[in-house]
Parts: sequence; C-alpha cells; structure tokens
Amino acid sequence: MMTFLFNPFRYIAGLRSLLAGIAVLFLTAVAGYFSHTHFPDILSVKLCPGFPLWYFVLQVFTNWLVISVLLYVAALTLSTSSVRAIDVFGTQALARFPYLLTALMGFFGALRKFGKYIMYVQFHRGEPVDLSSGEATFAVLLMIISLLFSIWTIILMFNAFRVSSNIKGGKAIALFIVAFVVSMIATIFLSRYYVSLIPQ
Amino acid sequence: MERKLPITCPSCEAKLKVNSLHCESCSTTISGMFELPLLLKLSRKEQDFILDFVKASGSLKVMAEKLKLSYPTVRNMLDDLIGKIDKLQNTPQ
Repeated sequence: MMTFLFNPFRYIAGLRSLLAGIAVLFLTAVAGYFSHTHFPDILSVKLCPGFPLWYFVLQVFTNWLVISVLLYVAALTLSTSSVRAIDVFGTQALARFPYLLTALMGFFGALRKFGKYIMYVQFHRGEPVDLSSGEATFAVLLMIISLLFSIWTIILMFNAFRVSSNIKGGKAIALFIVAFVVSMIATIFLSRYYVSLIPQ
Repeated sequence: MERKLPITCPSCEAKLKVNSLHCESCSTTISGMFELPLLLKLSRKEQDFILDFVKASGSLKVMAEKLKLSYPTVRNMLDDLIGKIDKLQNTPQ
C-alpha cells in the first residue's frame, strides 16, 4: 500500500503512465479553472480570479514539462542505464496527481472565504467577511491537507525520477534538488508571462 | 522441501568454495578446492531473474509483464545485476 502511494512507478511507467498523467494534468487544469485554483510554479497553489481556461492548461503543462526536460537531460548525462524519455515524462506527469486533489479542494467555499477574511483583516482590502470559527477551522484543515499533498507530490516526483533514471542515493537527491530549484524559478517567470497575456 | 545451496559461510559470512562432489550412482566422492561458478554466487532470486530473462528471449518488456512491474523497474533490476556480476568478476579469488 505504501509503495503504491509513494512509488507507484514500480508498477506503472512508460506509455500507460504518460496517458494517465496527461489525463491527470488536463483534469487538474479544468478543475483549477472551475475552482479558481492555480499553480503559479511547480510547487505553489493559490486561489486566483477567473482566468481563462487556456491559462490553467498552459500553466499545468508547463509545470510538468520544465522539470521533466531538466530531469531527462540529467538522466541522459549521468545515468549508466539506457533512459527512455517516455518513462521520465510519463512518471513525472502521473506524479502530479495530488495536485488534482488540491485543485478539487478549491471548490470548498471556506478556503476562498478565509482568503477574503485574511485580506480584509491584515491588508484592509475588499469587503468585511463574517467568518465562523467552524469555517476558519475547516479552512486551516484544508490548507494543512494541501501542504501534505504538496509533500506527497515531491516524494512522487523524486521516486519517479529515481525509477525512470536508475540514479540512486546522494547523486539522485542532489540532481533532483537542482532540477527542482531551476524549474521553480523558470515556472515562476513563465507563469507571470502567461498572466501578462490575459486581456484585462 | 527444496534445499538452498549456501554460498556464504553461516559463521563468518565469507564466500564458500566447493570442497567435495559426490556421485549418487556409484558413490564416488571427489575432494578438492573448487570455485563456485559465477552464477551460483548470485542469490536464488537473482538466478531466477536471469533464467526468466533468458526464457523471455532477453525482452525487458516481456519480463515486466511477467513480473507485473514497470519497464524501468525491471531494467534497473537488470542493471543492478550486471553491476553485481561485474563486481564478482573483478574480485580476486
């Protein structure tokens, strides 16, 4: 059970994981569009105004492709095994499954209400919001779950890289961290660029 | 019960060697000091993997289907095994 949760790539990779992963990414973008939840870099989750659907699709697929390309190049350069692109890209796509659940969590009104409450109380922006203690507790619980989903995603992405590249130990950890940080920076800038393309 | 051929000493964990061979047909016993063949130095699981791999005509895809594992997982198992065989071959007897 633990292996299936944290390293399903022991059992699924290649074309099957690529097709399943692309379906997951597309559903994440659609769910994000309707729940107003976007992913401005490979790790962050934020509530957003009603952006067009193409923005969510582009953002979700960019977050997948940027790190996949970097990890594939790292694997080709440093792995002694014959690495297949379909395994790297397929497993990385499927590793983003928890973000589909995070996008679905955006449908709970409590999170949005809590966000508006914080904006008003801390930054004096927007309208006053009447937030009950139950709603506040539920919103905090959702944020904790969202954080756990992010950690789950990182573990899945690392295991996907480890299995698809056959790079182990400290070398795998170091390469993954470098690729992750570079992807994070690249996707932040790309995301800002995409937002600038949205007509005001 | 199938008996497992021991390849390491249960006392000090050093690699074992063949000391005697016996013919069940005429009860001849040959004594000496023989090296275990390389394949027998591998674990039973690794030997089974090699047998299955040969039976699958060296196809990792067929192996992955048979073991119900993903292709890269099986490829990694094979690469690890190649590494172990290289190490055994390069270890002085």
